[in-house]
Amino acid sequence: MTGAVLLLAAAALPSGPLDFKARDMRIEPQERRVVLDGDVHLSRDDLNVTGEHAVAEYAKEQHAPPRGPRGRKKEASDAIVGGQSVERFTVIGNVHVQRGSRTADGEHGVVDVKGQTLVLTGTAQTPPIVRDGSETLSGERILLRLDSEDVDVVRPKVVLRRSLAEEGQPVPVKVEADHLLLLQARRLARFTDDVIVRRGDAVVRSPRMEARYDGEGQLTKLELRGGVDVRQGERRATGQNADYDAKARTLVLVGDPKLYDQGDVLTGDRIDLALDSKEVHVERARGRLRPEAHKGERGAP
Amino acid sequence: MALALAAACGNAVSPQISPIFTPADAPDLSLQGVALARLSEGRIVARGTADRLDYQRAGARLQASRGGGVIQPEPGSRLAALGSVRFVADRVDGEIANRKGVASGAVRVDAERGDVARTERVYYDGDFLRSDTRVAAAGPGYRVEGSGLLARTDGSVIQLTDGVKGQLQMESRP
Repeated sequence: MTGAVLLLAAAALPSGPLDFKARDMRIEPQERRVVLDGDVHLSRDDLNVTGEHAVAEYAKEQHAPPRGPRGRKKEASDAIVGGQSVERFTVIGNVHVQRGSRTADGEHGVVDVKGQTLVLTGTAQTPPIVRDGSETLSGERILLRLDSEDVDVVRPKVVLRRSLAEEGQPVPVKVEADHLLLLQARRLARFTDDVIVRRGDAVVRSPRMEARYDGEGQLTKLELRGGVDVRQGERRATGQNADYDAKARTLVLVGDPKLYDQGDVLTGDRIDLALDSKEVHVERARGRLRPEAHKGERGAP
Repeated sequence: MALALAAACGNAVSPQISPIFTPADAPDLSLQGVALARLSEGRIVARGTADRLDYQRAGARLQASRGGGVIQPEPGSRLAALGSVRFVADRVDGEIANRKGVASGAVRVDAERGDVARTERVYYDGDFLRSDTRVAAAGPGYRVEGSGLLARTDGSVIQLTDGVKGQLQMESRP
């Protein structure tokens, strides 16, 4: 998903009129806002937002020059939409966003025109979701930047379905964290705080992780930093840092790496874990082996 | 006299001159080129003009052609944000006692703030204004068309209804 999101191209939301349709429109001049009710559609260039209700709030600092009721030069149909501008839209109820091939859904959406952001939230049962084809990204709060491809997600839950080029049935990689920042220009997804990566029976934990993508949106590398803990079956490995090579599907632990496997404790300069074959390669290995723990294993003496 | 006699004798003689009579709905008062003002506590709260204004005492009915008016909202009222509000219509029919009326024909409302609304017919009923004809409105930062209108005269509700579409300005023009 992150790769797909990173690939999407969208320009900044340009200033100018935003088209809308709805069942009713309420004008509240004192509150400096208009309220749209019933099957609301908002569109500007390639951005389309729908929902059940919407509130458009006008900037307070801007004032139209007062014009007397007499002596108008323009008819209503010729009137320019201008003089005051909407600084924020709030869309409520079954919010659906479409921009290019990306869609997003939530219960509540706020478009900050000045800040060029769209923030989607939902409920615990129906969190906001961003989709691109079959790829999905959800979280507690999703901030889509409108002037770039960047996406900021609080407590993301990502399934990297298409990011690992695998033969046969691909094993999905699921990532959870407290925070995710997608930086399109750098083809980078930065997960921070309690990062958990799950792939098959392997679970990797780390304080922070960066996912790097190629020009086609394919994941190339996961870089885990600040202390890495890998568990796969009864095997556990730790290290200060780890890099995951998406093509080779190997995880390389460095920085005092250690492997714990049924009582064996191995350390070395680096430890390579092949997640599919579960083969382990320890460079300049040293450690303690407990052969009695492996009695009964196939190939064991 | 000959005609009167013929009628008295029952002869079927067609009258040569129609009698002059007053229609039942004829106004009790008809004014041309009218200007009026409504005062409240020494302050002009509304002014109006009309090319012609007919008034009937029965039912306190009022008819105005090419009528218009300007309302000065009370400071602090919900309408005050719009500034003074001017309205014109080709024809205005009203029942003053019942607080009912209808304005029709090129009905147009202009607010000092810059809002403009046009429609073909607006009903006035107590505290409400309603329209069931297409309404086009524009103002600072918006332009909208709707199939109907519902508004309260105190400005607490101004709503275009039954399907609206338009534009909202997202940034001030330079």
